[in-house]
Amino acid sequence: MNALPHRKLEDWKYSDLRNAVDESVVASAPTAAWSVASAHGGVEIDDLPTIAPRGPHGVMAEMAIAKAKTGPYLRVAKGDTGAVHLHLTEGGHGRAVILIEEGASLTLQETVLAGEFANIAVELVVGRNAQLTHVRNAPYRDAVQVADYAVRVAEGGIYRAHFADFGGKLSRTELHIALEGEGAQAHLSGVGVLNGAHADVTTHVTHAVPDTQSTQLFKYVAGGHARGIYQGKVSVAVGADGSDSRQTAKGLLLGERAEIDLKPELEILADDVKCAHGAAVGDLDIDSLFYLMSRGIPEAEARALLMRAFLGDAVDRIADEGIRGAVWLDVEKALEGLT
Amino acid sequence: MLEIKDLHAAVDGKEILKGLTLRVGAGEVHAIMGPNGSGKSTLSYVLAGRAGYEITGGSIAYKGEDLTSLSADARAAKGVFLAMQYPVEIPGVTTLTFLKTALNAQRRARGEKDIDAVGVLRLVRAKAAALKVSEEMLKRALNVGFSGGEKKRLEILQMALFEPALAVLDETDSGLDIDALKLVADGVNALRSPDRAMLVITHYQRLLDYIVPDRVHVLSAGRIIKEGGKELALELEAKGYAQIVKDAA
Repeated sequence: MNALPHRKLEDWKYSDLRNAVDESVVASAPTAAWSVASAHGGVEIDDLPTIAPRGPHGVMAEMAIAKAKTGPYLRVAKGDTGAVHLHLTEGGHGRAVILIEEGASLTLQETVLAGEFANIAVELVVGRNAQLTHVRNAPYRDAVQVADYAVRVAEGGIYRAHFADFGGKLSRTELHIALEGEGAQAHLSGVGVLNGAHADVTTHVTHAVPDTQSTQLFKYVAGGHARGIYQGKVSVAVGADGSDSRQTAKGLLLGERAEIDLKPELEILADDVKCAHGAAVGDLDIDSLFYLMSRGIPEAEARALLMRAFLGDAVDRIADEGIRGAVWLDVEKALEGLT
Repeated sequence: MLEIKDLHAAVDGKEILKGLTLRVGAGEVHAIMGPNGSGKSTLSYVLAGRAGYEITGGSIAYKGEDLTSLSADARAAKGVFLAMQYPVEIPGVTTLTFLKTALNAQRRARGEKDIDAVGVLRLVRAKAAALKVSEEMLKRALNVGFSGGEKKRLEILQMALFEPALAVLDETDSGLDIDALKLVADGVNALRSPDRAMLVITHYQRLLDYIVPDRVHVLSAGRIIKEGGKELALELEAKGYAQIVKDAA
């Protein structure tokens, strides 16, 4: 009996894992390996403790948690500041736990360099008035990669994340975010630049208490037979009055074979909340293209300029100038392949 | 400079220009006036090389060269400029970045060296003051949130920057109040030169009080039905298009 999620499940409708990877590959996959590319400031790095916190996850993460024997454990102690860059160097089932204590802050960069199958579950715990800036870069690989993040944000804590996904045979990123303390915030952004590849971002943000705030901005450019997916659910729990949530997802289709599916969803059980969501898929604007060309800009350059402009506000949400610049380089390189 | 002979052009299979003939020499300013639907904007797009505007007959020669086989960007590099009726808003591209990209793309096509950001800014600043294009406008996304007047001033700034040999101005007066119109017209007049031809396309005579043309052509149903000196614009204003069209028939 194949236990992998498949397209008949609503959550996996656009990402048929059962079809993308052989069950025996999943069953026999080893524990994934990470390396620390760089670490600065007050961050402690260790192996996972036997008892680790775990938030709500999807089905694949449950499998990763059951199968992964070890993984990195990062901790930033109360009031400290640190920066870490992790590389996922070998595929398989993986686990990581990242704990940012009260008033501490961490800049976490993740780059996926793993093999043909990876299934990763990550716990991120953002303490009271703590801050986590998280940037994940998944270069294109002809591989199946699933990453599932459970993020818990305490009172006054802020989680800022950016996901740059260049896709793969199947690339699925799940974010389960719980805003658990008053004033907690989560700001998510991401870009998918897909040249014939698949990338799926599925988010579930829960506003559990009053006066919490979340924003999401995801953008996709899809060429060839690419498929970009955004499924975003925002739940505002009973009593979480004064919550503020904004969700935007946009897609740019470059050909008739490309497909982008955007599915924002709201579940509001509280009063006096501000929730807005929008989604739009379109083609490259021919008026803009003509305008640029009429000013002497050749078509390929004009198209690249418009695509870059389309993705701009999402990439520019990365506050760290160095990381932002690095993501831009990857985005521009990927765009070159699309023109 | 520009010689159009018996030009036929179609959009979505529908013929809009039906045998248009026009000749504009270097140093001359010609006006094309016509009612809505006469083919004014089609003519401007055909000259600039917009995709989807199909030439079904006749010819367009620019400096003796067949223009119709060139792409829009190649025409721009060779000195053809269209000031658009509705300049496009492009979020995410700052005005200055756009100007630098366009200027250098044209230079590259001509085998000239790129100008760096500082050099471009210096060039732009030198031309921007007279057109009241502020530094703040240059930092904003291209045309985004610009008023009608600001958009048209930026079109003329581009014309000043690119120094085209043939400038086509499509309804440059639309959406402008009288002060903005004067400012834009002054900008255009400053660019009149013995090496440059201009084609001013307009519905109303008002613009031609400020940009005084050498010749006026009346476009109706895709053809030039009458031409004359600058006084023809006044006659049109007095009689209306319907009467002129009737007289010419």
